[in-house]
Amino acid sequence: MRIKKSGRISLGCNFACIHCQNWEISQQFVEGAVYSEREIASLIDDARRRGCRNQNWVGGDPIPHIPFWLRVLLWEKEKTPVFFNTNGFYSAEASSLLRGVVDIYKIDFKYGSDVCAEKISGVSNYWRVVTRNLREARQHGELLVRVLVLPRHLDCCLKPIVSFISEELGPETRVNLMDQYSPHWRAAERPELKRRLDRAEWERAVEIAFEAGLNNVIM
Amino acid sequence: MWQLWRPDAVRALEDPKVVSSMPRYVGILKGRLLPRFFVSRYVPVEWEADSSEEELWELHRASIREMEALMRDMDSGRVHLGDLGCPPKSSLLHLKARIGECLMGPCRLCERRCGADRLKGELGFCRVGREFRVHSCFDHLGEEPEVVPSFTVCG
Repeated sequence: MRIKKSGRISLGCNFACIHCQNWEISQQFVEGAVYSEREIASLIDDARRRGCRNQNWVGGDPIPHIPFWLRVLLWEKEKTPVFFNTNGFYSAEASSLLRGVVDIYKIDFKYGSDVCAEKISGVSNYWRVVTRNLREARQHGELLVRVLVLPRHLDCCLKPIVSFISEELGPETRVNLMDQYSPHWRAAERPELKRRLDRAEWERAVEIAFEAGLNNVIM
Repeated sequence: MWQLWRPDAVRALEDPKVVSSMPRYVGILKGRLLPRFFVSRYVPVEWEADSSEEELWELHRASIREMEALMRDMDSGRVHLGDLGCPPKSSLLHLKARIGECLMGPCRLCERRCGADRLKGELGFCRVGREFRVHSCFDHLGEEPEVVPSFTVCG
């Protein structure tokens, strides 16, 4: 594939999570390539023809790239479903543009508390924004929710997250409950994020998810 | 080769938990249904070069309802792709791309609403400006079973 030019890039991300596992590329500049929308479309068509199941829009976060992606879709020839792989912190305007385009919304539901979201990812109004987008995603497409369990964030984050999913989105919502947290980048700035989950914590997390009534959990 | 690494992914599209939570996605992969963006291409919408953002959103509200009605008709087999002829030169998907550009300057795509004028090349909080810069693309085998293999573009 012809690369038009290369240059300094950063995986665009609207969050600044202190434990980011991709921080070298999401929080600073590295070498990358500038493709035309038409070139990306042709890569996606080739991928579908060789059996890939979807086009996975990732970042950092794909939110800053939505306008580019909409133009990529104009060039695509194959019927490749769109998998929007996001932290869910997009505007109401962006949500309207995604409606009628995204087939699967994969949203990382990270925090049950605005205080934790502010301290760890540097965003405000987290709960209001992400729960609004989760509700809209469920109405406008199909939903897959990822929940990365953070050490010592079971009561403040995991409990409200799984209750919201079960009560507002439905206990049948497909949820990927993840135990693979590991400390990266500046995670040591918060004492509880210095270590991985321990076994008892993970067992408790699974219990919490089932107590909330979730019945479509991937572990 | 992915079948060797992820045998669970091979069976995923038959898994009742997958089929019940993402029936359209499974339908698309089995060739019965169309991805949403494909349907959006068949909804004609026209606007003027000097239409305001508000006028574009007005058109968007009406066309998205039309798109979802068309999708229901196609999903239930009342309308077939062959009945629709060629896609129009100016469609709902084109309108979305046009509005997407408006949202880049001042930037209102994420809820930070940092307001950078990315159309003029300013970088947002996210460090993204005007261009689509790609770090990598690859066939991802590490996602949920129904998603694998997934053509992943990291931008």
